[in-house]
Amino acid sequence: MLIRALAISVGLAVVAGCAAPARYIDPAADDGPVAMTMDYRDFEKAATDAVEDMLASGAVNNPDGSRYIMVVSRVTNDTMQRIDTDQLTKKIRVSLLQSGKVVTTTAVGLNGAEDEMNMKARELRDSEEFDQSGVMRKGTLQAPDLSLSGKILQRNHKVGKEQQVEYYIQLSLTDLESGLAIWEGETPIIKRGPDSSVSW
Amino acid sequence: MKTLLLASLLIFGLAGCASQPETHSMSERQNLRVDPEVSYAMTVTELFDQRLAQPGGDSLLQVQFAVEARSDAELAWTVIWFDDNGMVVKSVGEGYRKATLLTGQVRYFDATAPHARATSYQLHLREPK
Repeated sequence: MLIRALAISVGLAVVAGCAAPARYIDPAADDGPVAMTMDYRDFEKAATDAVEDMLASGAVNNPDGSRYIMVVSRVTNDTMQRIDTDQLTKKIRVSLLQSGKVVTTTAVGLNGAEDEMNMKARELRDSEEFDQSGVMRKGTLQAPDLSLSGKILQRNHKVGKEQQVEYYIQLSLTDLESGLAIWEGETPIIKRGPDSSVSW
Repeated sequence: MKTLLLASLLIFGLAGCASQPETHSMSERQNLRVDPEVSYAMTVTELFDQRLAQPGGDSLLQVQFAVEARSDAELAWTVIWFDDNGMVVKSVGEGYRKATLLTGQVRYFDATAPHARATSYQLHLREPK
């Protein structure tokens, strides 16, 4: 009994010793294995492609020299994975803000304001408890000029003894005044790997 | 008239005194860096840059390069952008972009600076592990 317990303990210790230790990955120098699911590198590629193309096309240049105001609309996840599409849209928003050409409103959204504090702060109006000189006046919120929407698609194929998973990240930037898509982009991300790999 | 002249001189004098951040480069930065492992399999045949005029009046630096493969090869590349003082201008992504080249294939890649203040760049080509 004691020998068996000792053998199991030694076995577990050996297995634990062989497992790679937890470590940080530097996104700037990550040559690690590729997952069949979408990972941060795929979102980074899609965001880079989209932002560079938007900037190069001139679509986000306001002719009057001021910054455009953008609202993030619906980005549909039509994949077999649970994806928070903010992982993609946040990168785009941050980069456009850093470019100095676009600022995103958090006061408007399909399911209400992204930051509800925009309206909550206005409820302080006429409250005797607050110094009214610091309370937001009426008519100060700014309406968006542009809307970012899109879709992430997934298609699976069997290719010989392997499986091929195709992701398509489709984005549109709509001019809300005219309703016209002034910029559109699609980044395909194609992965091929063992049939046993899971892509959801 | 004399007052106006004195005021102008004063303004020019102050502008001249405004201190610019001092930056020193330890070594001359090359626009193109190609790792030896990449040089075995491919050649950079073109490297162009231009400034894209924007409707607001500013312009964005854009780089295009071409690579010709002598054998099937994998490539990873990135462009780092710098401002006038040699400081890095943050890009959208930090990682290398991957590409596959077939023997004899010539592929063209381009990158656009994330901000108008980017005035120079360094293109790095390496072999993905």
